[in-house]
Amino acid sequence: MIKLERRTSIGWFAQLSAYVIAIGLGLLVSALLIIASGASVAEGFGALYEGAFGSSEAILQSLVAATPLIFTGLATVIAFRAQIWSIGQEGQMFAGAMAGYWASLYLGGAPSFIAIPLIILAAMVGGGTLSAFSGWLKSRFEVNEIISTVMMNYVIVFFLSYLLAGGPWTEAGTTSYNQTPILAENFQLPVMASAAKLHIGFLLALIATVLCYLIIEKTPLGFELRALGYNPTALRFKGTNVGRTVLVVMFISGALAALAGVSEIFGVNYRLRGDVMVGLGYTGIIVGMIGGLSPFGALIAALLFGALTNGSLYMSVLSDIPPALVPAMQGILLLFFLCTSVLVRFRIRIKRPAHD
Amino acid sequence: MAVPTLEARKLSKSFGPVRANHEISFAVNAGELLCLFGENGAGKSTVSACLTGLFAPDSGEILFKGEKIRMKSAAEAIKLGIGLVHQHFVLVPDFTVLENIIIGSERSFAVPYVAAAAKLRKLCETYGIEIDPNAQVRDLSVSEQQWVELLKALYFDADVLILDEPTATLDIENSKKLFQIIDKLKADNVALIIITHKLDEVMQSDRVVVLRQGKVAGIRDTYATNPEELTQLMVGRDVSETEKTRTPVGAPRLILEGVTVAGKGNVPDLDDVSLTVHEGEIFGIAGVAGNGQNPLMEVIAGVRNPSKGRISLDGLDITDLGVQEIMAQGLGHIPDDRFLQGLVPEFSIAENLILGRHRSEFAKGNFIDQTKMRDHARTDVAAFQVSAPSINTPVGNLSGGNAQRVILAREFHLSTRVLLANQPTRGLDVGVIEYIYERLLEKKAAGVAIILASAELEDLLTLCDRIGVMFQGRLVGIVDTASSGLSEIGLLMAGHETRLAS
Amino acid sequence: MIELFSPAILMSIFTAAIGVSTVILLAALGELVTERAGIWNMGVEGTMLTGCLIAYMVMASTGSPMLAATVAMASGLVVGLLIAFMTVTLRVDHFVTGLGFNLLASGLTLFWFRVYTGGGRPPSYDTIDTLAIPLLSDLPVIGPILFDQHLLTYIALLSVPFISYYLLRTTRGLEVRAAGENPQFLESKGLSVSTRQYGAVLFGSALTALGGAFLMLAFADQFRPDISGGRGWLAIVAVIAGNWQPVRTMLAVLVFAVLDSVAVHAQGLGVAIPYQFFLMLPYVVSLVLLVSIRTRSGQPAKLGVPYLRH
Repeated sequence: MIKLERRTSIGWFAQLSAYVIAIGLGLLVSALLIIASGASVAEGFGALYEGAFGSSEAILQSLVAATPLIFTGLATVIAFRAQIWSIGQEGQMFAGAMAGYWASLYLGGAPSFIAIPLIILAAMVGGGTLSAFSGWLKSRFEVNEIISTVMMNYVIVFFLSYLLAGGPWTEAGTTSYNQTPILAENFQLPVMASAAKLHIGFLLALIATVLCYLIIEKTPLGFELRALGYNPTALRFKGTNVGRTVLVVMFISGALAALAGVSEIFGVNYRLRGDVMVGLGYTGIIVGMIGGLSPFGALIAALLFGALTNGSLYMSVLSDIPPALVPAMQGILLLFFLCTSVLVRFRIRIKRPAHD
Repeated sequence: MAVPTLEARKLSKSFGPVRANHEISFAVNAGELLCLFGENGAGKSTVSACLTGLFAPDSGEILFKGEKIRMKSAAEAIKLGIGLVHQHFVLVPDFTVLENIIIGSERSFAVPYVAAAAKLRKLCETYGIEIDPNAQVRDLSVSEQQWVELLKALYFDADVLILDEPTATLDIENSKKLFQIIDKLKADNVALIIITHKLDEVMQSDRVVVLRQGKVAGIRDTYATNPEELTQLMVGRDVSETEKTRTPVGAPRLILEGVTVAGKGNVPDLDDVSLTVHEGEIFGIAGVAGNGQNPLMEVIAGVRNPSKGRISLDGLDITDLGVQEIMAQGLGHIPDDRFLQGLVPEFSIAENLILGRHRSEFAKGNFIDQTKMRDHARTDVAAFQVSAPSINTPVGNLSGGNAQRVILAREFHLSTRVLLANQPTRGLDVGVIEYIYERLLEKKAAGVAIILASAELEDLLTLCDRIGVMFQGRLVGIVDTASSGLSEIGLLMAGHETRLAS
Repeated sequence: MIELFSPAILMSIFTAAIGVSTVILLAALGELVTERAGIWNMGVEGTMLTGCLIAYMVMASTGSPMLAATVAMASGLVVGLLIAFMTVTLRVDHFVTGLGFNLLASGLTLFWFRVYTGGGRPPSYDTIDTLAIPLLSDLPVIGPILFDQHLLTYIALLSVPFISYYLLRTTRGLEVRAAGENPQFLESKGLSVSTRQYGAVLFGSALTALGGAFLMLAFADQFRPDISGGRGWLAIVAVIAGNWQPVRTMLAVLVFAVLDSVAVHAQGLGVAIPYQFFLMLPYVVSLVLLVSIRTRSGQPAKLGVPYLRH
């Protein structure tokens, strides 16, 4: 008879095995998917790798693709560690981009070093407030945060659609493109490596990762954040205002997601459009979870997923495999990761039935 | 000699390194009340779980009416006729009494309300239990729920009935009623096993099996033994009488006037409570858990706010202050549920020790002072004899006793003026209990005003200067332990109820 | 804007609403049973999307709506098996499982749709017809609204009292509820908690996938990525707003369906208010419902709590 027994402690070897097994199974199922779609695995994976890491330009492009994922991944980590299941990263990212764009409308000819920080600030306030709204609904009205954040995602996207499709922010003269006019140069994020247009957003993302780590592990707020995730009752008994903590956590999470929006609109596309960032918020959730809900883990996962996304464009050119393989792969990896990280808590015991 | 209805032969069961049962052998006959007696952790619940099919023993045999049986599930035990009345009720509050009883035995598509109700009514008549089969369990009182729990087992025509701490939530009158039912069952030739740690109930049984640390310490015919011998067997040594040191009680320190805490609906959780606790006094709160002890402690500590009334500490009005402000006044609070309210199980010992002071004393600028936290933890772990691999061990890995020591360490620092201790010894073994009471007495000697809520009346009588009895959120009486005894308090607890019944 | 309230338009709105409600109602009823068994399945949206894609591919390839619906339900069972395995057997957190599954479904359906169309124009088909009930459908006002709908709509509406009866009056139904209220109760009676939870999850997923299939067969002639558009989430909200009771859940679903229908009609009529605001309505109203309906008294006590045997 096979029994599953709980382990008392999980060694690093077990954790590592869990990752390796998850990645292995994930790749295997993805390969099966490619075969089932009638394409060649070697071609597919080969092109994916080429596109992601094949040249220094490719690597830089992967970093650009990873930047928004780092932000939405961090946003996920901050919220999920407090057991606040916010899935509003998508909407908060758009809200951040919209708030930043709105600010830029009032900043006229201001020089970059004034305009850009203000834009970033506006974005963070926009995304943070949207997120804190869901936090407020949770503390005050016990509204499930999964539901309220996903509802707000839809609302924000429809609102953006209104603004861009013949609405107040549409580029004049082109009603069919659903986009704003191109951003003036003083609003574009400075570029660090011109080959792939790697902008300072990447640097900000790295800084944000370190800050998140410090906040979560070393500060009283992080102490409360982690305790909130494990046992809010004990916090309450010691006088912590749990409702207020939820608001602060949600605000930070939303501000981080907003930076993804800034990165894509002000660093890459130079226009506010409804279709360029789609999915980055939701992918950020996968990034955060696969990163083990740790800031550095999310960073690594974001880099990996950014590489995958970048490689998928090349792959779709070189083979018949649609770039949509990558979102599918990401989902598969996530599910295997969830299963193995739970299984690693158990040890398999084979027991003989007791004899007389 | 008739074959015993149920017999355990050299039953052993371990959970990992912990040996819960070691070669336990005893038997119970039809029409007999056998008592399983022992302190917490002695192995009583494990034995009963094995006998009712919940666990399979690692080795040993179970014989039912002389035949060896091996049960793979609770369903098999029920089918054989072995019933269990759980200590912590296993009922669905949403269901009616009838539904709770018959779900699991009736396999028809539609619930046979009419037929089952008739059978249930007969059962109630036979045993003198008054209950409405169509009442929703959530609307019943605790003692009524106990009857439902009992009826669940009776409905199956059990040949053996195991009752696990059945009077834990019953008052004196209903306890008597329970034993009347037990007498009837004996007359009907049912074999009964009662698990209890209350000596007066043990003495009502026919035979006693004393368990100590997983082994049988002794089997006695009850008429041939006495409480002292049984206690000695249970504990393994002579139990010393805790000397009651009569330290003088000082000026009034903690005063509650007309404190009311709102509850769900119209019934308040705490109803117009007034009391005064003096410096160096241990004020006991007696009463079955759930009668207002928790709201009382929580409202004093600031976790909840009263809707009416005033609370003052050394003259300062603390009625509307928050937990942190009251803590700063020198109040410590040991909550009822150690893992749910007192600790964060995933946090380390060190982190749990600074819970509540992580923003104040243990913060340095924007960060937590890790060095200070670690030094503090090392000191406390040594001073309170917390047995753990390191200060970084998650508190959830500790035993109940050690986890309680962590809470004690933390709250003792804070309680320079008032200490609230809510059921601090629940579920712990005698060694830890003695330790906790010693430390409490130290605090008393240092002049701290202490409120101690406990389900163990005997402990309260030994430790406390005065005892208040709580019932349904009200303080129904205060007695002085110097001049009152067990019976008087029992009367207070029961007397109030008879007054309500009429 | 006033044109929205003319009698003819109102009739049209309500008729369409009843039809559209079926999609959400099937998912909501399925989720209701699942949640009553204690499993908080957040993967409804992904399950519905899966049902949409499967039904679309089968219908476009074979032209048989019955086959499409059946295969879609089967795919729902497969999904349910996965979700039940993760939540009941592995005891992964329910929310995380559901969210993870949604992400998986979103990626997989997109991928598979692209593979299926091979980059060309997606095939389309004729949507299925309604089935008017003779005599009853000739009644004034309520005739067309209630009795000239699709077969599945009638089935979905009739399921409401049946599921009510099942949960309140049958032994199996009570056992399922016990799994969500106090699983230890079942354990103490020797009944398997996991069997009942698996059953509830499978049932819920199959029904949700059927809802997705219906969306494709009756209202769309082509698949689009994210065609389910949040209806799975609305189903979850409906269960909460309905306090976990079948009839109230149905009422909540109808509210959403009417709003959905209003949005479509507003867009068609070219009303002054931008149509995006009408599209927002169901989502905004769902938040309003959750805030104003504070009672959660029907919430199963152990909903979302993975059950550990000792």
